[in-house]
Amino acid sequence: MLELMGGALGIGWPIFVSLIGLLIYFQVSIPDAAKKKRLSFKTLIGMLAAFMAFMAISNYGTNFDTGTKGFVGDSGLLPVSLVMGTILAYMMGLYFTSLTALFKIASSMFLVAAILSGYGNWLPQVEGGFPPPEVKLDFQSMTPQQLGDEGEKIIFGGLGQSRVQGAIGKGQCPLCHGFQQGFLSERAPNLFNIPARALTQLDHEKYYRGNPEARDTVQKEAFPGSGTAETAQEYIAESHACPSCFVVPEFGVQGTNDTESPMPKIHKPPISLTLGELAAVDTWMYVREGAEAPTYEEIIASYEKFIPEGDRPQASSEEGPAGGVIATGEEPITDLFMKAGCPACHTIPGIEGATGKVGPMLVEGTSAPMRLKDPSYQGKAKSVREYVTESILDPSAFVVKPFPDNQMPKDFGLKLSAGAVNKIVDYLSQLKEGQPPPQVD
Amino acid sequence: MGGLIVKTARKKILAVTGLFAMGAMLLLPIVVALPALGAEEFPAAAGVVEGQSDEEKIEMGRDVYYKIEGPAIGRPAPKTEDTTEFYPRYNFESRILLWVANQQHLYYGSFVLAVPIFCMCIELAGMMTKDKAMAKRYDQLAYDFIKISITAYSITAILGGILIFTFLTLYPAFFGYLSSVFRPVMHIYALMFVAESATIYIYYYGWDMMKEGLLKWLHLSMSVVLNVIGTTLMMLANSWIGFMMSPSGVDEKGQYLGNIWHVIHTALWNPLNIHRILGNMAFGGGVVAAYAAYRFLSAKNDEERAHYDWMGYVAMTLGVAFLIPLPFAGYWLMREVYAYRQQMGITLMGGLLAWLFIIQATMIGILFLTTNYYLWQALGRMTGAERFQRYIKYLVFILVVGLLVFITPHTIVMSPAELKAMGGQQHPVLGNYGVMSAKNGGINAIIMTTILSFIWYQRGNRVPTVSWTRFGNTFMIVFFVVAGINNIWLATYGYFIPANVRIGLSVAQVVGTLSCLFIMVPFNLVMLKGARQLGPIRWGKIPVRSQYALIMLATAFTWMMGLMGYIRSSVRLYWHVNEIMRDNSPWAYTHTIGFAANVISFNVLFFWFTILFVFWLGTLGVKKAPVPAAEPVPATPVPQPATGH
Repeated sequence: MLELMGGALGIGWPIFVSLIGLLIYFQVSIPDAAKKKRLSFKTLIGMLAAFMAFMAISNYGTNFDTGTKGFVGDSGLLPVSLVMGTILAYMMGLYFTSLTALFKIASSMFLVAAILSGYGNWLPQVEGGFPPPEVKLDFQSMTPQQLGDEGEKIIFGGLGQSRVQGAIGKGQCPLCHGFQQGFLSERAPNLFNIPARALTQLDHEKYYRGNPEARDTVQKEAFPGSGTAETAQEYIAESHACPSCFVVPEFGVQGTNDTESPMPKIHKPPISLTLGELAAVDTWMYVREGAEAPTYEEIIASYEKFIPEGDRPQASSEEGPAGGVIATGEEPITDLFMKAGCPACHTIPGIEGATGKVGPMLVEGTSAPMRLKDPSYQGKAKSVREYVTESILDPSAFVVKPFPDNQMPKDFGLKLSAGAVNKIVDYLSQLKEGQPPPQVD
Repeated sequence: MGGLIVKTARKKILAVTGLFAMGAMLLLPIVVALPALGAEEFPAAAGVVEGQSDEEKIEMGRDVYYKIEGPAIGRPAPKTEDTTEFYPRYNFESRILLWVANQQHLYYGSFVLAVPIFCMCIELAGMMTKDKAMAKRYDQLAYDFIKISITAYSITAILGGILIFTFLTLYPAFFGYLSSVFRPVMHIYALMFVAESATIYIYYYGWDMMKEGLLKWLHLSMSVVLNVIGTTLMMLANSWIGFMMSPSGVDEKGQYLGNIWHVIHTALWNPLNIHRILGNMAFGGGVVAAYAAYRFLSAKNDEERAHYDWMGYVAMTLGVAFLIPLPFAGYWLMREVYAYRQQMGITLMGGLLAWLFIIQATMIGILFLTTNYYLWQALGRMTGAERFQRYIKYLVFILVVGLLVFITPHTIVMSPAELKAMGGQQHPVLGNYGVMSAKNGGINAIIMTTILSFIWYQRGNRVPTVSWTRFGNTFMIVFFVVAGINNIWLATYGYFIPANVRIGLSVAQVVGTLSCLFIMVPFNLVMLKGARQLGPIRWGKIPVRSQYALIMLATAFTWMMGLMGYIRSSVRLYWHVNEIMRDNSPWAYTHTIGFAANVISFNVLFFWFTILFVFWLGTLGVKKAPVPAAEPVPATPVPQPATGH
């Protein structure tokens, strides 16, 4: 309070000095005692009103503390300002009789605002924090327990939070699912002991194991040809990747007769869990039941069955440039190559300055088909595009002779967005020996 | 006689022809703009290599909402970073600056869109009324309304400019993207403004010139055109926020897929349109009622007081008429939000923003309480209305109980310590009253009580004399009792059935309530035909506190509008465009409720102090002579305003 009063004096001192001057002037210049008394009283009221106004202003300056430098204070005090505004306006209404109506109206408006602001500040203050920053975790090298812990954090927002109803993490699962037997789970199935129960779901009459075409759901398969789950883990993966492929009875979107699930695909926005994160989530569901979790690779494989390659979220691609991605795919192709650093080692026809000799010349339209036929090729690619993609994301899958292995960085999958990789692949696949390169933008 | 009929018919034909001609002229800019839509040429999408055939140049994208394929001819949503390139800033939170600019523009925009609708209704009422004195009063009232909105109209335009500058200077990347998606209709929006301005100015300045016969009909028709343009403008603006909340017409990267209708017609567009039209009307009624209250409080003589008392009453009645269906429109909007994204609905109603809905529930209750209070005060200006006074305490009881049930929370975000202290997610006793079943019962009881208050008000100084009075009264009592029992029974029954079945009960409850409104109010009016007068309505003889009730009603409604706008906007959390364009600014978090309440208060006070200035300006330039003092203020209910009194 003292600070506010000091602040008020600091801001409004010229007004106070003038009003004091006016008061002295009335004392010395008005002979009529009654008139002098009336005017002096009015001036005093005016000083009080001005003081309150400046206190309110002084307080107001601290009410929008946004954490920005130069702003300190507590937004919870604004209603105090508004109450002062209420009194001030009312007082001014008495003072300026010709504008009484306006001031009294202003006073009642201040009062309504003070009550409502006060109410808002009185309620529990919950602040929606920033979306959690993406921390680069190497899920692959974690033990099942570590992986499970990460899973608990993703689901519930912290270790040990799984028994707290209402705790929620990046995955947002508890918004709808209960995880403990007996916990509220009206919107979606309760997931206690899901690894064991998942197996029985495979035999559910509406699941149509091995026969997705028979399903009456809006989406019969995660993607054409993905098929249905065969194991408990695959069932979990399928329900994350394609919630509408099988809807647990009574949990479908209202009015759809359980043919459509309200759950979003977890690898897509707004949740966008990466395969590594999904592996952590699934591992937790096993570990907390005391069951033996499938290996990281097995879990990833189960997701790869239901999420086509182009749809698989990469740890870095969803973050945009802020998260360590060096190219988004929106750049012109030349810039894209420059950002990725390819010209330093490779000669790339059509790209100015790309004359590197550390790696092979990139004329993939010609060389990729030959390498795919090479007996020593052990990679998984079956087409030129797949081969080029594989060479970027997994350079050791096939090493062109006589160049040595392990020269090319293996983290382009983390540094380039899916769009950027596609763009590079598009370009490289068109390059043919002896033919002019495609025109660049 | 026959000649007169022919003459009248000819006048009407001419009026209709004139209307069409005028409408065609005003809509000409849009017609001119339409071919441009078809002839748009879009650059080839990024990432496509030149040198390929034209067919290969078009990258295909899949609509995130409609799930159909289309040529990805727009640019992808920019991936922003927390730098001054994407988010230039002053030494202040940019989001708040934008928030204030947006909210002020919206307040004024709502007001200037709502007032012409009132004008249209009131002008028509004046033209249909056979009583000349009454017709003149209606005409004066409509003119008073439009006069206020004219000054507000130019402020709206100024605020629109400020808003665009704020967007361009603080959120250039986001605004650039949004305008690139809406490019095909941006110029239509601008041209609609031209048409709106032209119409409103002709409408206002032509008032005196077009006051007789055919020209008067033409004048009225202009208000129809004005409202069509205004509503279209609002719907276009709504499409932007609809797109931000529930984008469609673009692919996952945010690339426009060539169908502007899909971009406009998002999942939430129509519920937003309906909700906003009703909200604007209720808000407009509130502002005009506050204006009338201001003029009443500063009136110099009884005639002025009588006029502005009547004006305040009409505006309040119109506002409340639209306030009553507003919760139902809100219910539909929420249903669509849940259907679009369940998490979004839960974030609103049971998650981060749930407490804000508790404030909203409280405010809805306060609005209805204040409305009832005003009506009870208004009974005081009628001789014979004393007979209702002793029953008011029972209405107060029902209203308070209904409000307490309505605002009781059920599922809220709690800390582990709070959970432990309470012994569970729900309070052991209060939790039972916080479920939707009981809440629906609470709000319906409140609305039914308000309707009853209004019916009492209609009967204030009148006693029905129709031969079937006894039957009529019994029928009305039985109707209200049955509707009340139906409401409470369904609210209780809801506890014994599953949630998905329970939702359906709300429809039956709403039907009961709306029947009271749409059957009982007209029924009462029929009963009051030729009713015996117990005494005159002494317009102007109403306690001053009733006028403060009107002002508080208007202020509270403005606050609620700010609150709901904030909720609607903040539910996107850290997305500029939900799931398409992420907000990477330093302000991509949700403020505390208290902070939001403070900004809302600031916005409300800023709006009201500027509009009070507008009101004051309105008192300076009185161009039209007020109704002569000698003209009797209607002390009797004949003929009455369209709302019954």
